[in-house]
Amino acid sequence: MRSKWMLILPLVAFLSLSVFLFSGLFSEASYTNQSLVARPLPTLQLSDVMDPAKAYTVDDFKGRVTLLNVWGVWCITCDVELPFLTELSQQGVRIVGLYVPLNTDADFGIKPLAQIQQEITAKVARLGNPYEFNMFDAQRDYSLDLGVTGAPETFLIDKQGVIRLHHIGDVNPQNWQAKFAALYQELLAQ
Amino acid sequence: MRALILFIGLSLSTTVFASEDTWKFEHAEQQKLFTQLNQELRCPRCQNQSIGGSDAPVAKDMQRKTYQLIMQGKDRDEIVAFMKQRYGDFVHYQPPLTPLTLFLWIAPFCVVLIGGGMLLKKNKPQSVASDDVEKARRLLEGEQ
Repeated sequence: MRSKWMLILPLVAFLSLSVFLFSGLFSEASYTNQSLVARPLPTLQLSDVMDPAKAYTVDDFKGRVTLLNVWGVWCITCDVELPFLTELSQQGVRIVGLYVPLNTDADFGIKPLAQIQQEITAKVARLGNPYEFNMFDAQRDYSLDLGVTGAPETFLIDKQGVIRLHHIGDVNPQNWQAKFAALYQELLAQ
Repeated sequence: MRALILFIGLSLSTTVFASEDTWKFEHAEQQKLFTQLNQELRCPRCQNQSIGGSDAPVAKDMQRKTYQLIMQGKDRDEIVAFMKQRYGDFVHYQPPLTPLTLFLWIAPFCVVLIGGGMLLKKNKPQSVASDDVEKARRLLEGEQ
C-alpha cells in the first residue's frame, strides 16, 4: 500500500508542476495597480497649461465626480480616445486633463510652452476637447505621485477627492461600460 | 599611428562616460546606492526590466526621482517605500512576505527538507524481516 503511494506521488507532483508551469506560459505578468486605489489625490499645485497664471489644487476636485485624464499630444493612443472622451463630456461627465510633456525631444530639446499650447489647440480642434481645464505637469512629478506609468491613463475621482479607479490605456465604449459606468453612477449618487 | 589609435580610443571612452556622468554625486556611497536602486526597482511599464535598464519615460522619471531622493539624504528603505507607495509592490524586485507570496518563500526550504529526508531514508541500511530471509533461503534450496 505504501509503495503504491510512493509510485503515484511523483506522478501527481509532476502533473501539478506541469499544470502550474503551463498556465504560466499564458499569464501576463503586467503591472496592475489594484492596491493603490481608494487613496486621496496627492497634494497638488499645478498651473494651467494654457494660462500659467491659473493654478489648481486638490480643492478643485472636491464636490464633483471627475475623470482625470493623463495625456499628451505626442501620445498616439490619446488621439484614439479623445473623440470618445469628448462624447462623455458632452453627456455631462467632468473631465480634467493632466498634460504631460515628453521632454526628451531628441532634436530640439525641451519644447517652449507656446509651442505646446499651439499643439494642444490644434489637436483638440481636430479631435474634440473634453477638458474643463488642463493642468501642466511640466516635470512629470505629479504623474509619478499618482503612479502613472505612461499615457493615456485615467483616474476616476469621487466628490471627496479620493481616487476610486485607475485605468491604464485608452478609455473606449467597451471598457467604459465594463469598468467605469456603474461606479461612476454610484459615485454621482453619493 | 599610435596617436590616431589613442585619439579613437579616447573619443570612444568619453562617449561612454558622458552617458553615465549625467548624475553627479557628492560621494561614492550615494553613487553606489543609486546603482543598486537602479537594478532593484522595476519599471512598471516594461516587463522584466529594471528602471536602470529601461528607456521608457516612466523609468527615466523614476531614476530622476531616485536621484533627487538620494540627494535629499533618503536611505534605501525610504526610497523603496516611496516608490511602493506610488506603484505598489510590483515596483520592487524583492517580493514582500504576504499570504500570496508565502509559497515563493517557503517552497525552496520544503524542497530541501523533502530531498534531505529522502536521502537519509535511502542511506539507512535496509532491515529485512528474519522470516523473509528464512523464506528466501527455503525457496533457493528448493530450487537446487
